[in-house]
Amino acid sequence: MERNDEVIRIFAKEIRRVLGRAGVDFRKVQEIRLRVGAPLLVVYENREYFVSRGGELGTAGRDAHLVTRDELRETMEYISSYSLYAFEEELRQGFITIQGGHRIGVAGRIVAEDKQVRAMKYISFLNVRLSHQILGCADAVMPFLYDGPAGQVRHTLIVSPPRCGKTTLLRDIIRQLSNGNRGRAGVTVGVVDERSELGACYQGVPQNDLGIRTDILDCCPKARGMMMLIRTMAPQVIAVDEIGSREDMEAIGYVMNCGCRLVATVHGSSLEDIRQKPVLREMAGQRMFDRYVILGAGSRAGCVEEIADSRGTRLWGLEGMAYGA
Amino acid sequence: MVLKIVGSLLVTCSCGALGLWKAGQWKDHLGMLEQLRKMIVLLRSEILYAHTPLGEALGHVGRKSEGVLAGLFGAVEERTMQQQGELFYIIWREEVEKRKKEMLLSDRERQELIAFGEHLGYLDLEMQEHTVALYLEQLEMSIRFYREHEREQSRLYASLGIMGGLFLSIMMC
Repeated sequence: MERNDEVIRIFAKEIRRVLGRAGVDFRKVQEIRLRVGAPLLVVYENREYFVSRGGELGTAGRDAHLVTRDELRETMEYISSYSLYAFEEELRQGFITIQGGHRIGVAGRIVAEDKQVRAMKYISFLNVRLSHQILGCADAVMPFLYDGPAGQVRHTLIVSPPRCGKTTLLRDIIRQLSNGNRGRAGVTVGVVDERSELGACYQGVPQNDLGIRTDILDCCPKARGMMMLIRTMAPQVIAVDEIGSREDMEAIGYVMNCGCRLVATVHGSSLEDIRQKPVLREMAGQRMFDRYVILGAGSRAGCVEEIADSRGTRLWGLEGMAYGA
Repeated sequence: MVLKIVGSLLVTCSCGALGLWKAGQWKDHLGMLEQLRKMIVLLRSEILYAHTPLGEALGHVGRKSEGVLAGLFGAVEERTMQQQGELFYIIWREEVEKRKKEMLLSDRERQELIAFGEHLGYLDLEMQEHTVALYLEQLEMSIRFYREHEREQSRLYASLGIMGGLFLSIMMC
């Protein structure tokens, strides 16, 4: 399916019409924001635009298309394939991942019970974050992830602020590890895809290319998934997105003790930043990771600022290299 | 005279056959309601235990069945998957109405089936459970009614047919 069709069909009819008129190329769109009673916003090539009723993109809010409650409700129907009940668990966490790996952030009124989020109602805010698969974006990073030319894969942590491309980078690293690259043999990779963002599985089949030797546990909690993969699929490398909890740390310790290599991502702006965080500080202190790949909020998503070893010694950096560099 | 006898026999037989056909329709109607109940029970399992999205769940259940109801479930699956900007209850209603003649359901039963689709997919699993439970109860009532009256209705239609045929024959002679 064409990417434009894949994205546009999740919106209410009127929004489809407006976006269709705007002739937006969804390959360059990062986000589309819908808020009840507020203008329709598109983040296009890193710049924010209002979309007018006539379908023009502009920076002034005049004549902008205002999203109505009905449009938002209709959009939620399409996003959930008419089945909100099938996304109860995801809604409790505040997002839904749809076909193509696009993540829809959801906000509204929380129904709480015993301090736990039971459900969400009056959903009034949506943030459609489009997933981008960029084949080859990890080319420049790959040589740092192996222990010598024919050596093992190193335990690697990708550190990045939100919206800087860590999931895209991880996806390509998985693909290259799995397929093999620059004369290195491919390895069996197990992916725990808790939010369906890496493989973007649809009815169990990955929509993104994660390589020929990759097994995916889709929508599975990370810590449990890592244990399951070790016991059942015998992976040589395990990849997970957005670690951070103590439970994750315990599972990571287990994975590493089993002789399996780990590639993971985490939210953070620098090595110093992650050393401030309780669980990550312990991981860094124990030198659990051999490589840190730090992404920065440069002019483009996916700008690698620095690559460091387990001690934090810079191996590469300063000028930065962007995807495809 | 021979012609009269042959004519009377033909009229009696045709009226008798009409009566038997009507009695058979009662049975078919009951069969359809029972098949629908079975499909709704399967749908409930898909929704409640596998958390399968509605379109996909209807497709799974449709493929396990046959006849006009399988066609209904399959068509709804296809249209929901296309996501052409139609709301679910509109798709459901249109597809039910399209099969109005083949479905052998009474007006009341068809309206209940349409109303069932109006609430499917809305809100959480608990809501789905209640929606399905309510519809199953309605189906159960219809099935009970048809079962209770099956024998007497079959006899009634068959006898009416034959007796009507005899009556017409006598009148014509």
